Amino acid sequence: MVSTAPPPVDPGRTTRPRPGISTEDLRAPSRLATLWTALARPRTLVGVATAIVIGYLALVPLFYLLWGAFSDETGFSVDGFARAYGDPRIGSLIGNSALFAIGSAGLAMVVGTGLAYFNVRTDVPFKGLFFAASIIPLIIPGILYTIAWIFLASPQIGLINAVLEPVFGPGTFNVFSIWGMIWVEGLHMSPIVFLFMVAAFRSTDPSLEESALMSGASRVQTFVRVTLPLVRPALVAAGLIMIVRALESFEVPALLGLQNGTYVFTSRIYQVIKSYPTDFPVAGALACGLLLVAALGIFISNRVGRNGSGTISGKGFRPRPMDLGRWKPVVGVGILLYFALTVVAPLVVLLYTSLLPYYQRPSGEAFRSMSLENYTKVFDQPLVLNALKNSLVLGVAAATIVMAITAVAAWVVVRSGLPGRQLLDHVAFAPLAIPGLVLGLGIAFVYLRSPLPIYGTLLILLIGYCTRYLPYGMRYAVSGIHTISTELEESAEVSGASWWSVFRRVLIPLLAPALLAGWVYIFVVSFRELSSSILLYSPGHEVLSILIFELYANARFTELSALGVVMVLVLVVLVTFAYRVGARVGLRSD
Amino acid sequence: MQQRSVFIGAGLAGLVLVAACGGAPTSGSGSNANDAAGAKVYAEVNPLTGTARHDKLVELAKKEGNTLSLYTSLNADVADVVTPAFTKATGIQVKVYRADSETILQRVLQESSARFAGSDIVETNATEMAVIADKGLTGDYQSEQRKKVNPEFQYTGWTPTRFNIFAPAWNTKRVKGDLIPKTWEDLADPKYDGLVSLEVGDSDWYMTLYDYFRKQGKSDAEIDKMFTDMVKGSKVAKGHSGQVELLSAGEFGVVAASYSYLTAKARTSGAPVDDQPFVQPVVARANGGGVMKSAQHPATAMLFMDWYLSDGQKLILDNGLTPAIMPDGSDPLGGLKVLPVDVKQLLAEGDEWSKRYDTLLQGGEKAPDAN
Repeated sequence: MVSTAPPPVDPGRTTRPRPGISTEDLRAPSRLATLWTALARPRTLVGVATAIVIGYLALVPLFYLLWGAFSDETGFSVDGFARAYGDPRIGSLIGNSALFAIGSAGLAMVVGTGLAYFNVRTDVPFKGLFFAASIIPLIIPGILYTIAWIFLASPQIGLINAVLEPVFGPGTFNVFSIWGMIWVEGLHMSPIVFLFMVAAFRSTDPSLEESALMSGASRVQTFVRVTLPLVRPALVAAGLIMIVRALESFEVPALLGLQNGTYVFTSRIYQVIKSYPTDFPVAGALACGLLLVAALGIFISNRVGRNGSGTISGKGFRPRPMDLGRWKPVVGVGILLYFALTVVAPLVVLLYTSLLPYYQRPSGEAFRSMSLENYTKVFDQPLVLNALKNSLVLGVAAATIVMAITAVAAWVVVRSGLPGRQLLDHVAFAPLAIPGLVLGLGIAFVYLRSPLPIYGTLLILLIGYCTRYLPYGMRYAVSGIHTISTELEESAEVSGASWWSVFRRVLIPLLAPALLAGWVYIFVVSFRELSSSILLYSPGHEVLSILIFELYANARFTELSALGVVMVLVLVVLVTFAYRVGARVGLRSD
Repeated sequence: MQQRSVFIGAGLAGLVLVAACGGAPTSGSGSNANDAAGAKVYAEVNPLTGTARHDKLVELAKKEGNTLSLYTSLNADVADVVTPAFTKATGIQVKVYRADSETILQRVLQESSARFAGSDIVETNATEMAVIADKGLTGDYQSEQRKKVNPEFQYTGWTPTRFNIFAPAWNTKRVKGDLIPKTWEDLADPKYDGLVSLEVGDSDWYMTLYDYFRKQGKSDAEIDKMFTDMVKGSKVAKGHSGQVELLSAGEFGVVAASYSYLTAKARTSGAPVDDQPFVQPVVARANGGGVMKSAQHPATAMLFMDWYLSDGQKLILDNGLTPAIMPDGSDPLGGLKVLPVDVKQLLAEGDEWSKRYDTLLQGGEKAPDAN
């Protein structure tokens, strides 16, 4: 007998009027309701919330800067711009800055990309060591790295020059020149590019390269014509960060450029800010110049990124390292030599200095005076353990918060289709061009007047760090998303996954290498952040960079070297650990 | 699900807005009342002396909570000796905020514009103290000790606590015998080409020496020529401490205007540097402290100043700095020909001198390369 009971009705789907409900209740929803439904989708809300958070973080110091740049005692004025750009020396300032920025960015790009390629895509030996060594220049505080190079390559006292003197005559290398500046800054920043490109190369489908190789292209041809174009979004993003960072760089031009009369933008901004009365209009005007360069860079970067096709696509692939074959020993030795010169040499200088009572050239006398006294002095300082703890907490927190926010924000900018999303990218980049002290002042201004207990606590430092490193996180995340083709998310959506599911289970794992790279970078560099920290910290909330500054300002250089060595040891271990953990997420490789 | 996201989104936005808006800029928690309270304490205690003064301050400090907030640019290693000594002597906890002088100035100005009483007492360089006092942020401090400070360094609104002495320092391995400078004019001699280093921010030293030479009867043209010759073949560097470091290492032969305490410290650790006998007249700039008008602990601040200007000065001396008052009450600058940096002039004309010094340095020739 056939059942005559009506088929079970899914309570969520009212295709038939149920008893007690009239047909009128089923009329089409009003326009307002449609709009509301569209807006209340999780993707839109999350997008808007992220935009608000980023806007708030970045716009506070930006407004403070612009307010200072465009006003004086009488109100609105552009006098600052006239004074800043009307200075007859501005031409050489801009020229020097441009040469310095492009040169060091170029060097960093070549070095960082080359190292990343060999590390990820080939079977070069000692990969773990290789990786750690690539990161080390990032960990060493800028002051120490630069001074180490002075001790290596100064025409007067440089150790390398002393070694080469019998053959090449005195003063073969002169670190106090624009080329010296480019060398030191480029090397110091190459880990940033390294991290970017490691993330990019990890996500590249090797089948394209394999087909090129099989079709007869040489390894070099494949690299130049297949590999590089595939990672173009990462290259452009890295290049952009390099150029803006070099334009903002302070220690290298200050320590190496002044002797040579090479003045750059930041020397001028620093000079203006540190004198009294602080000419905020001029400082602001100069910073606006940097902002313009940054905006232009973002525009170019996003255009290029959009045109490139995502390399992570629906077709499965397993990234496999290329066999170097007979080139293996050559490449191996080449890389070892490179590290010996650029990483080991400055480290050895630091180690050597940390064992002396004061810096002196190697000699019998010097070796006899060695001791571990500087290390005990460093740890004897009452604040050092607290500062280390604070720096660790802030580093982890800032890196995590920034990467979480920028992961979402990057999705907003690249995928969401929301109006004004490009603007979000520009806004997120702004803090990079704002001088640290001005950033600190802007934040202090807001929180001194807020009822929340933020000023005078660790939180205000956290806000400062998040603001400061937002641009970097954004670049890592955006370039990461550019390498993922939309097919994967689309197929997930079509199969019924909600927005949040797609984001969490498809996008984030694929984005993981880029997010990890960003995390590591922010974590490491936050230890060196000084210009905002020194304004915003309060007693009991010191961070390591304050201690570094104090040691340097009191000419306790040998103790500073000891602290530098300790920092390198601790951070290298932490970073390697982070990468081990991070490698478990996302794409596995052989 | 949708409703939940709405609430989450609205909640986040609300939180952010609450954090952003605070009270209006001019509102503060009774900071006007603080100013008046502070001034009252200072007025009440200033005329007292000796034990009566000390006891009164101890009593008031106890009522204030036995705690003090100090903003200072004193070197870390000296501050780490000074503040615990004060705590030991009085039982008062000191919260120390340490930074370079310009950052301290920015912070004090920022906090005062928001009527936030962050500091009870500020101790830093003359230039920055003069600005702070000029803006009326410091209270009136008078005491017997204050009167003992060298008469050329009596300032309104703040009191010198230590002196920074600028004098040439040289590397004893590269500069010996006849090459050791005896006068400032010596440095203009071509024999110092390639040896001398000048610091990029020393426009106050430049201004003071310039005025000195004018008083000596030299014409502006002669003085300009002398400085140009000094800059010729010199190496410009950033930071006095970095300069001493590189001087010890032999990168420079002479640092034109080194901080004497940095030179002394390097010498004590064994580095081959010296500045004795001083090239005279030495240029001296005071560092000093001022009790804040808006201090939350005004009596404690006064107690600290009293202690700093008496027992504290011995600690300063023992740690390689130049105190404002010697422990025996005498003048630490006695026996030296001293050129004080004119702080008033610096405030009024600082910008112009800074630009002139800039131009002077950039006109300097490149240091001769060893190539």
